[in-house]
Amino acid sequence: MPNLLQQLTSLTHTGKIHSLSKTVALSELLFKAKQIRQQNPELKQQKVLIVDENIFDFISALVAFDGWCQSIYIASQNLTQPKVDNLIQWQQKPPQSAVSQLVIDDNEQIDTSWFLATSGTTGEPKWYAHSFAALASSVKQSRNLTKVNWALMYQPTRFAGLQVLLQSLLSGANLIDVHGKPALQQISLMQRHQVNAISATPSLWRQLSMTQQLDNLTLKYITLGGEIADQGILDHLSNLFPNAQIKHIYASTEAGVGFVVTDKKAGFPVAWLASSDNETPKLKVSSQQHLMIKPKHLIGDNLKSLTDPQGYVDTFDKVAVTDERVMFLGRASGVINVGGNNVYPEKIEQVLLQSAEVDQARVYGQASPLVGALVVAEVVLQPNSEPQLAKTRLLSNCKAQLARYERPSKIRIVASLKQDASGKLNRKNHD
Amino acid sequence: MNLEQQIKQAMQQVAELSDCQLIEPITVDTLLLESGLDSLGYAMLVAQLEEDLGYDPFSELAIETYPSTFAEFLSVYQRCASKQ
Repeated sequence: MPNLLQQLTSLTHTGKIHSLSKTVALSELLFKAKQIRQQNPELKQQKVLIVDENIFDFISALVAFDGWCQSIYIASQNLTQPKVDNLIQWQQKPPQSAVSQLVIDDNEQIDTSWFLATSGTTGEPKWYAHSFAALASSVKQSRNLTKVNWALMYQPTRFAGLQVLLQSLLSGANLIDVHGKPALQQISLMQRHQVNAISATPSLWRQLSMTQQLDNLTLKYITLGGEIADQGILDHLSNLFPNAQIKHIYASTEAGVGFVVTDKKAGFPVAWLASSDNETPKLKVSSQQHLMIKPKHLIGDNLKSLTDPQGYVDTFDKVAVTDERVMFLGRASGVINVGGNNVYPEKIEQVLLQSAEVDQARVYGQASPLVGALVVAEVVLQPNSEPQLAKTRLLSNCKAQLARYERPSKIRIVASLKQDASGKLNRKNHD
Repeated sequence: MNLEQQIKQAMQQVAELSDCQLIEPITVDTLLLESGLDSLGYAMLVAQLEEDLGYDPFSELAIETYPSTFAEFLSVYQRCASKQ
């Protein structure tokens, strides 16, 4: 497969990249990537660490090093650096001289490994290798897609952020970098550059929605990923954007595969469990109610212990099977244990989010000297809600729908909820 | 409202949320395990009181034996309140 530079060079139309302060054409960044290769021959076939400082230097470094270095480690500024021998940290230097013609020796094709960090549950990042071919495998290209203006809501160093970045670059679309900015500034940047495609977590979508200005955009492509997409947020987005394509993505880090649901309903159809369709990965539910996936690719040694005799890998995602849908309940490991009963924070959050008064909800376990842990909820209310009344209504809704041990023992009304760097709700225990 | 009344009010709230039926009346001699609240109910009560009063004696004081009557439960809170 041609490397990133070769693929981008062969495009008939390339887009522009916008940040808060400037706009650069991708063609300029491709030129810069060639300069990097020419002026840093010592980096060839080496292991290089790219730290994301600004989107333009980040893109030119990725383009320069894919197919040219042995491996690239992609890190955000605040991440602990990987402990890898002979790893060279790339530092952008001013070009030595103006070069008008660059000849790149591209005969030796190297299959570069892209190492990405996952947040992990313990705080210490874990590094996983991906090939460019795998990272780019879901990229769609068409004449229409060259007219798309993608907002980059995720850090570009994360798997989901790289997906948006590669989709926009390889399809000739424009990319508007808004990640990490306050929601109101994000919306104003998106409006300025006529963003019509956004990929974000449900939590980030709710945050955008809280600006009350999301409907100023004309969105055509809406993607939700990284967290369970509840029916409330799917309904909200399809009401705001009835003509948009709305999809929620399920991805399993464990199995290294995922699938896309496009029917605007939470979960996925039960029929997929028995499907022999070659388009979707084979799925089943284990006796522990974990979703199991049979990847098409060969299963690596690190997955063998998670794989059953039929070749299905345990995703550690808990599901509930109803008559029509398979619904996600959350991570098997993220459960709150209340006196021996498992509570899935996502399930409680979804009940809280049914209320029109609630903008955002987060549920976590709080250590209890009596029953191990108790369920605690934090909610962000709509601006005009009356907190005490809202609390009473929420508790009575929880009572109607949840088992005793699942009901939040406290509902705290807060002004905003913390999200971690990936845009997911920070659900770490407060004990 | 004194501490005893505050605790009784919190018991009512927790009983309501956790589908428990409190006995009437609750007196100083009422055994906690017979009051109508179970362990989940008490865990919720302690959490609720922490919210209302700002302290949780079961985490703050090294309590070796858990109170068995309402009077003992109240006295644990009174001891903690005097240290605040």
